[in-house]
Amino acid sequence: MRKTTRSAFAAACAVLAVTAAACGTTSENSGAAQPQDPQAACGGPDGQYTIGMSQANLAEPYRVRMDDDIRKAAERVPQFKDVQFADAAKDNAKQVSDVESFLTKQVDLLMISPNEAAPLTDIVRRAYNSGTPVVLLDRKVNGDAFTTYVGVDNEAIGRQAGEYFKNVLFPDGGKILEIKGLSGSTPAHERHDGFMQGIAGSKIEIIGADDGGWERAEGQEKMDALLKAHPDAQAVYSHNDPMAEGAYLAAQAAGKADQLKFVGIDGLPIEAGGIKAVEQGRLQATFLNPTGGEEAVEAAKKILVDCQPTEKHQTLPTELITKENAGEVYARLNQG
Amino acid sequence: MSEQTRQEVAPGAPEPVPGRSRRQRVETLFRFQSFFGLVAVFLAAIVLSPRGDDGQILFLTGDNLFNIVRAVSEIGIIAVGLTFVILIGGIDLSVGSVLGLAAVGSAVLLVNDDFGVLVAALLVLLIGLVFGVLQGAAVAVLGVQAFIVTLAGLNIARGLARMWSGGETVQISYGDGAGQAPMLFSLLGERTFGGVVPIPALIFAVVAVAAILFLRYSAYSRHLYAIGGNEKAARLSGVPVNRVKIIAFALSGFCAALAGIVHAGQLNAGSPNDGLAYELDGIAAVVVGGTSLAGGRGSVVGTIAGALLLGILNNILSLNSVNTDMQLLIKGLVIVAAAALQRLRPAA
Repeated sequence: MRKTTRSAFAAACAVLAVTAAACGTTSENSGAAQPQDPQAACGGPDGQYTIGMSQANLAEPYRVRMDDDIRKAAERVPQFKDVQFADAAKDNAKQVSDVESFLTKQVDLLMISPNEAAPLTDIVRRAYNSGTPVVLLDRKVNGDAFTTYVGVDNEAIGRQAGEYFKNVLFPDGGKILEIKGLSGSTPAHERHDGFMQGIAGSKIEIIGADDGGWERAEGQEKMDALLKAHPDAQAVYSHNDPMAEGAYLAAQAAGKADQLKFVGIDGLPIEAGGIKAVEQGRLQATFLNPTGGEEAVEAAKKILVDCQPTEKHQTLPTELITKENAGEVYARLNQG
Repeated sequence: MSEQTRQEVAPGAPEPVPGRSRRQRVETLFRFQSFFGLVAVFLAAIVLSPRGDDGQILFLTGDNLFNIVRAVSEIGIIAVGLTFVILIGGIDLSVGSVLGLAAVGSAVLLVNDDFGVLVAALLVLLIGLVFGVLQGAAVAVLGVQAFIVTLAGLNIARGLARMWSGGETVQISYGDGAGQAPMLFSLLGERTFGGVVPIPALIFAVVAVAAILFLRYSAYSRHLYAIGGNEKAARLSGVPVNRVKIIAFALSGFCAALAGIVHAGQLNAGSPNDGLAYELDGIAAVVVGGTSLAGGRGSVVGTIAGALLLGILNNILSLNSVNTDMQLLIKGLVIVAAAALQRLRPAA
């Protein structure tokens, strides 16, 4: 019994110690961004610079391609010999550690495509406030503690997709299905909202929708069920190409592939990507979602080498890809 | 209780006098296996560390060392809880999902329901505890294998986390208004002692010390090792087997929930996908720490050393920009090596 008391006492002491320590804590990384002098990080054309790129995951082909684009673009800048990549594997906590490691290594510039906004906000702010320029790609963090953001306007992409349905595919109205991205992710919200704006005022109705989690297999599975419930559907609007491909497979299995039209988003210029799927006739169309890798490297060059100010927000343009221009776009995106 | 089944040695305790027999010396070596491993990896990290602009060893900077402890704190807390379950020859696969459930729970209670920090934390810890008790009861009373029970638990906790959050990440913003969490909770993301020591690292230290003391000074630990060694014999000699098992699973659930609170506080959000596959990292820490999955041998000290070893490994690999594929490979080899060393250990 005496021993139990002793350990209880020890535990109580420990708790007290933590509480006491917590009382003396100073907030260091809460609060606002400190304005950064755009010239401070610049070392001019004679320097050699280290860039750290923290990627949210490499499970999505889109992100693999983003890293490749950064690598390729950096090779063309003689001052960027050392570009290091980290993969957070969809884990916010791991991504925080990845950024910490980059800061320990004293990289000259941080590129990051955050897994989620809120969990990465603090560490990105800490990097920015310590004087490391931050280039955000594809996804944002909260607040404005970053140097520049390079990404697409997902709502605009959705709107263009909607207008394509309204003006080209179904000018007299039609019944369509929607395969959405992972519920809770911002692009899924925006690609849906934009699409609704795009088809506003038309006779197009979405008769069925489901969450395909951005993945091909899940898109196929959801389409199986949607087809059974809605045999009168005429087309599918999918939030990305892999899910559209999955939906195509489901329709093929049901013997309906040629009665339906499939439209996706992403247009990755790789063998297994959406542009090829359009070229080979599985998809009716897709909308280009540029990775921004090249633009991010250009921004980094402006900041570190050219000593020029960068825009806070760089919105990348999208592009409609159909059978007519698929070959040309594919070649253009793969040159260099 | 004989010295040979008694595994728990406090750090810094004098080593048993060598010379009694060669076997005992070997036994001592194995007992501190993970500690030696930790020292070896630490020294290797110093040698392999990249240098900064002014030549300092980056790995050894105070900032970096504390980053390591901060980064392993969640896995460390989980692994401490797991050790209890694994010592009795069980396994708990639900800890990663319970962490996610607790992270979501913390966020929802603080932000959507405007609870105070203490009440929310106690509620979340209670959820973890009850979850553990239920799993323990299914294992002990119904006699279902722990692997199956906690595999079900993994799915149930993940489902609950998704339901509670509506499948969305719940962001935590701080302030006194409605829909904001009290500032106190944001301390989990801060550093203390002059902005040096991360609070999660402190919490990990407290959990570690409490677990070590608990195993050192309570009768409960004898029961744990007895059941892990030979459950039938333990039952016959009057050990309350069912109760001990339920407590082990309860402690594991409690630790996972605590790790979830730390997770939400560090990241200012609770996401239903938090803690995915963390159970595997936790088990890895326990195994590298020299605890046998067959039960009956191992220690919390070892687990803590194991967690730190893996943390240092992750850190030095990423400081050297070793790519992710290679990192996974090396981590796997370290786990296999630790387990292989255990096989060489003479039977007690």
